[in-house]
Amino acid sequence: MSLVAEAFVSQIAAAEPWPENATLYQQLKGEQILLSDNAASLAVQAFLQMCNLPIKVVCRANAEYMSPSGKVPFIHVGNQVVSELGPIVQFVKAKGHSLSDGLDEVQKAEMKAYMELVNNMLLTAELYLQWCDEATVGEITHARYGSPYPWPLNHILAYQKQWEVKRKMKAIGWGKKTLDQVLEDVDQCCQALSQRLGTQPYFFNKQPTELDALVFGHLYTILTTQLTNDELSEKVKNYSNLLAFCRRIEQHYFEDRGKGRLS
Amino acid sequence: MAAPLELSCWGGGWGLPSVHSESLVVMAYAKFSGAPLKVNVIDNTWRGSRGDVPILTTEDNIVSQPAKILNFLRKQKYNADYELSAKQGADTLAYIALLEEKLLPAVLHTFWVESDNYFTVTKPWFASQIPFPLSLILPGRMSRGALNRILLTRGQPPLYHLREVEAQIYRDAKECLNLLSNRLGTSQFFFGNTPSTLDAYVFGFLAPLYKVRFPKIQLQEHLKQLSNLCRFCDDILSSYFRISLGGLSPAGQDTVDANLQKLTQLVNKESNLIEKMDDNLRQSPQLPPRKLPTLKLTPAEEENNSFQRLSP
Repeated sequence: MSLVAEAFVSQIAAAEPWPENATLYQQLKGEQILLSDNAASLAVQAFLQMCNLPIKVVCRANAEYMSPSGKVPFIHVGNQVVSELGPIVQFVKAKGHSLSDGLDEVQKAEMKAYMELVNNMLLTAELYLQWCDEATVGEITHARYGSPYPWPLNHILAYQKQWEVKRKMKAIGWGKKTLDQVLEDVDQCCQALSQRLGTQPYFFNKQPTELDALVFGHLYTILTTQLTNDELSEKVKNYSNLLAFCRRIEQHYFEDRGKGRLS
Repeated sequence: MAAPLELSCWGGGWGLPSVHSESLVVMAYAKFSGAPLKVNVIDNTWRGSRGDVPILTTEDNIVSQPAKILNFLRKQKYNADYELSAKQGADTLAYIALLEEKLLPAVLHTFWVESDNYFTVTKPWFASQIPFPLSLILPGRMSRGALNRILLTRGQPPLYHLREVEAQIYRDAKECLNLLSNRLGTSQFFFGNTPSTLDAYVFGFLAPLYKVRFPKIQLQEHLKQLSNLCRFCDDILSSYFRISLGGLSPAGQDTVDANLQKLTQLVNKESNLIEKMDDNLRQSPQLPPRKLPTLKLTPAEEENNSFQRLSP
């Protein structure tokens, strides 16, 4: 969106309170959604729970195409549609709810830096694993991605998406990486997150912020998704404070609110 | 460390040891950690590769990307992060990710995609560093690679328009610069008084943006308003790369001193001359006082005579 359009949207956003029928769209949970998309969607859900804003999750096969930026998840609030965690956080802030107001400038800089670290390393590693690792692609990704569509559309869409992701990997220099190097990067990232978290309950001590939501989304999905091999989740399991962190957020924000366990 | 470490990278200009961000990161890290690097600047001959610069070669290894080169140097015990705590190490990784995601697209755009800048500054400079036929191909390829990277990471499939992302990437870059400035505050380096990996990365990304003279300079203007970041770059340049910033090279300083000396000598000579003249005047035989004609006087003359003698 251009800058003018964005300013206009936030003006309008500020005017109305959060409606009861806000919905979040993602792909079909059981058959279609992939690791990276699930992580992103869970991060947004966690963020909205932390802000105490009600949201209904709706699964649609064409969620990716409905989204204004091509990425899931996106939320439909009033008559606006906003996609991806960053813009959603800003949109929610325009409506007057924010988790990071209590942080000072240096802490905000740190929070943004760590969010970029998660996006840069964890998300890219997930994408690599899903689309560039032949074993996973063959067994899981192709089948899942095209599942709602009839033959031959399912194959065509899956190959097209794979080609796009491989182009992106090559542009940022991950094209030549082997799976082991990618797993090592994931390990480094988890180590950094674990060291930053230390023994605190959340990353910025007492209150959760969008960083906590993002980290929870990714780590929980990695821990609970079954892939061809368990190496990715093993890397995360090495860090016990991260496991405790995920469990804590799950209990506090998802079970206690009566939403039941996350599947 | 017996084996010599050789780094081949792009050369310097505008007061910088290298104009290429990644090469600068490696050079800065080597200076900070005390690694003895022999720097081979890519020049106009056919020797050496120009592909994945910067490249570190030792006797048995060839290491290519900045992150890998830094890892290699650390394994060879040239570690600039020795005194950092675990949390600071984690912060380093996070801030480097921030730089790569938010600042790098705009830097690439300023150097390689913005047509005024590219055709008047970047392309001629790089073309002058490469031998003839390649100089027609390589800059173009680097420019296309930069555009690709920006579009694929920020653009929206399937059409990937540049217009939409330009405003966004510059806004992100300005925000990133503000965040870095807030984090640096008034301290000399990012983690205390000794420079570390993060300082090398920030310096590598900021210094070319700060020093290279471009026609279209909105990001540079923004950077210049953040005086602590500018001071940070200048400090590193003057202490680690020994490039003086007063505008005078050491040779220039000497000529000024020589001139000053000559002027002083002249002035001294003048004043000596004046003193001599003064002395001469004083010591030269003075004319005797003019004798007034004596008057023949009466016995009252004696008193008059005494009066006369008293008169000068």
